[in-house]
Amino acid sequence: MSSHARTDAAEEGETETKKERFTGSGMARVEDHRILTGEAEYIHDKAPEDSLHMALLRSVHPHADIVDIDTSEAEDHPGCHLVLTAEDIKAEYNPMPAGLEGFEEWSLADGRARYVGEPVVAVIADDRYVAEDVVDLVNVKYDQLDCVVDPREAREDEVVVHEEFGTNVGDHEELVFGDPDSAFEEADHVIEKSYSWGRISGVPLETAGVVAQYDDDTDSFDIDCNIQLHTLVDDTVYETLGYDPDDVNLDVPPDVGGSFGTKIAIHRYCCLAAMASKELNKPVTFVEDRIENLQGGDMHSTEREYDVKVALDDDGTIRALDFWFVDDFGAWPRYPVNQVLKPLSVLTNAFDVQDARYEYDLVLTNKTCQTAYRGFGVPSHLYALEMLVDDAAEALGIDPDELRRRNLIEAHQMPYQLPSKNIYDSGDFPAALAHVQQRIEEERDGGLLDPETVEQKREEGKYRGVRPTVHIEPGVSGSDWTDRQRSDREGLEERNREDVAELPEHLRAEIRPDGTVKAYLATDTSGQGHQTLVSQLLADELGVLPSDIEVGYLDSETAPTEYGTAASRMAVMLSGAAQGLGKELVSNLERLAAETWDCDEDDVTYRDGAVVRVDGGGEETLSLAELAAQDDESGLTRASYDYEHPTTQLEQFDEALSKKLPVYPTAAFAANAPIVEVDTKTGEVDILKFYSLRDCGTQLNPTIVEGQAHGGLAQGIGAALQEEFGYDESGQPQAITLFDYKLPSIEHIPELELEHTETPSPFTATGAKGTGEGGMIDGPASLACSINAALEPLGVRADQIPFTPNRIRERIRQVEGEE
Amino acid sequence: MSADDTSGSLDRPTEDISLSINGESVSAEVEPRHKLSDFLRDAQDLRGVRVGCEHGVCGACTVLMDGQAVKSCLTYAVQADGTEIETVEGLAEDGALHPIQEAFHEEHALQCGFCTSGFVMASKELLDENPDPSKEAVEKGLADNICRCTGYQNIYDAVLRAADRMDGESTVDEEEEA
Repeated sequence: MSSHARTDAAEEGETETKKERFTGSGMARVEDHRILTGEAEYIHDKAPEDSLHMALLRSVHPHADIVDIDTSEAEDHPGCHLVLTAEDIKAEYNPMPAGLEGFEEWSLADGRARYVGEPVVAVIADDRYVAEDVVDLVNVKYDQLDCVVDPREAREDEVVVHEEFGTNVGDHEELVFGDPDSAFEEADHVIEKSYSWGRISGVPLETAGVVAQYDDDTDSFDIDCNIQLHTLVDDTVYETLGYDPDDVNLDVPPDVGGSFGTKIAIHRYCCLAAMASKELNKPVTFVEDRIENLQGGDMHSTEREYDVKVALDDDGTIRALDFWFVDDFGAWPRYPVNQVLKPLSVLTNAFDVQDARYEYDLVLTNKTCQTAYRGFGVPSHLYALEMLVDDAAEALGIDPDELRRRNLIEAHQMPYQLPSKNIYDSGDFPAALAHVQQRIEEERDGGLLDPETVEQKREEGKYRGVRPTVHIEPGVSGSDWTDRQRSDREGLEERNREDVAELPEHLRAEIRPDGTVKAYLATDTSGQGHQTLVSQLLADELGVLPSDIEVGYLDSETAPTEYGTAASRMAVMLSGAAQGLGKELVSNLERLAAETWDCDEDDVTYRDGAVVRVDGGGEETLSLAELAAQDDESGLTRASYDYEHPTTQLEQFDEALSKKLPVYPTAAFAANAPIVEVDTKTGEVDILKFYSLRDCGTQLNPTIVEGQAHGGLAQGIGAALQEEFGYDESGQPQAITLFDYKLPSIEHIPELELEHTETPSPFTATGAKGTGEGGMIDGPASLACSINAALEPLGVRADQIPFTPNRIRERIRQVEGEE
Repeated sequence: MSADDTSGSLDRPTEDISLSINGESVSAEVEPRHKLSDFLRDAQDLRGVRVGCEHGVCGACTVLMDGQAVKSCLTYAVQADGTEIETVEGLAEDGALHPIQEAFHEEHALQCGFCTSGFVMASKELLDENPDPSKEAVEKGLADNICRCTGYQNIYDAVLRAADRMDGESTVDEEEEA
């Protein structure tokens, strides 16, 4: 075991507080080596030698009765081992848990197909090539039905997606905070607009995959898969299979090729592979291909139509906000039901407004089901709000920058309680806005926004503009509110704090015989650098090197049910857990040393990777390796720690928690100023430079923080300008390859001018706020605002996301036609 | 092709191929429809070749064939007969990372890492052909690869860092030769 670098570096006479800390340094990741050399093992690499392979026959119709399935020819194929239909699985298993009560969804379409790409038949064969051959031999006879694809139309119930449910409106709620009615009545102006947010999603490069193996001896399943939140959503698998949680072990590989929230809903594949494995008593592998993923992989995310209103006074003071939207969930409701609620945690974004109304219809249509995606429903909310502020500024004839500045929450108002009862922990939004404003001022003097250049470009039909905005990234989701839709909402009024149950985050570690440390995460990971983070934090707590700490993972059976990786939780929850675990281990080791030396615990102290005897005289020490050797029975070289959710000790959150309103105790934030140039001939938007000042509280690893911002902004840029799962009127998906779903490449991502400030959170153990969703949360809204600024002379607004070249040309033609 | 192909539509004809993979000679019997990506991953156990889309857009499966970057998901294994294939597994020597791999690590040019092998191999082709690329050349060289996590700036910086380092090495070599 290595000696400690910090002590070597420490000059004589320096105090301990001046020692170098790994936490807060931009240490390169421990995950990288195996990835860079091709040794990483993703789920696609997992199939054992004797595994069979599954392929799925999927519906080609958006809405159709399944009249007959003829599997005889498929079954005759010499490479075919099994063909499964809904009829087969219904005899032995359960429907998959749905996001709302009243829906019964089987792992294969039961009697009726409700979207293009919905799995109807599963076949298992020798390998994937043969499995696809066999799928071609299954004959399904459909009786086509009318379909519904427009979310506003779906509310009319002319075509009902689920007859037994009776309506396409799966859920509806109106939440009123303060007294918006009076504010709208009394205010000098009311501006009312509509905006639209298209179907966009994470589209991780690695598709879903599973290897399921049934064990006949123990009547249990081992399922390797790349599901996200495997300890939380394992119920979607074990309940479907009808087994106890202990008999269905989900194990996620240490390397997952991206998720961004989307992979929480891949349980269908896990269930089908498990069922087939039990039937055949052999391992069964399924790897989703890209067309399946884009078309019917249940991987789309938020699609919303907004009607919004703002009440303002003559001086630009925002008096009240009113949001109404319809969210198109596709054919079945899943977890992202909560995406319609999460925006309540940032209801007014960075603005100080206390009266608001929030109402939504969650509708079902003949489209692919929604899953979660980075930002979890917030990006579209911030977009609609910022567009409304732009439109209000225009209507009132006030400079939009000035309108925003006048309404921002001030630093002295922190912590700030929103009307929707969530609390922003800390931050100085006006200072952040002023800073990026200053940066773009510099561009006006001979830079990208030099008036002469801007004018000259405009003559070429290229319109430049920028509009700074401030955005909140709510972090560290509580979990208790997430079943609000299944709760008796009237009854919520009677609830109090004692009824609230939040999930902590779990971490454990042990000292190995060689004195190194093995820690175990209870969560899965998909590129965020959790292993690096834990090794940095534990190294500091234990006074060892990060390289002395190896970080592994617990499977769903071993780990307690924790919330895991979601909502930018891990920086806060894992760092809190690592800090707590480190202290627990140190205390354990001191006790062990005291027992070994037969002295009082006060006579020993832990220092730099060893326990030292401090009761005078000798300079006895016990290294970690020596302590590990002492630890026969006591178990003191092992410890586990559960970091409680930050809100559990804070009275300020009582109201939000007891009423099951979304609780996000950290407010990371960004002030953005992307400079855009819109080519009015082609409709292309060129982002010339993207200024962004970002604050996620204490930066545990600035390299990773910066990386998250880069990645988030790239996704935000893609969402704003080019990505979309479109559907035609007949319900056929328009983006089923990566030629149609246009992910940004290196040519689409501009120079990012990122700066960071650190406003530590007063609510979290380490001051970290979480930063996993930024960029995707704030990128689209800020780009749309800058496009508004660029196209202001033409009177064109970025009223639809993505604002594609086609839509831009359409809007320009429209205003030209009106002139 | 195998001798008997009389069993109708269920027959799986094969062909024999010989090629070099990361400097090793390999002979195999493959189905003509077998993709090079699947052949490398499954038959040759080179799992560093990642399959992201199977229709030639994402570039995760990029390998070098006779020095040229190809998408192995759009290439059949039979097309690789007689060629020299290089994959990410062949880059590190004696446990030491290749300068491109090292630069990706140092610049935090990977997060989930699923696209990384493809980017590294595309970068290798780019730097082999153009040791001192301009910004535009890097953009052009990497435009066939998609990354969903890191947002490209760090990848761009990694390629330039690798170019500096590899250029530096070649300078040393030249001096030694002189």
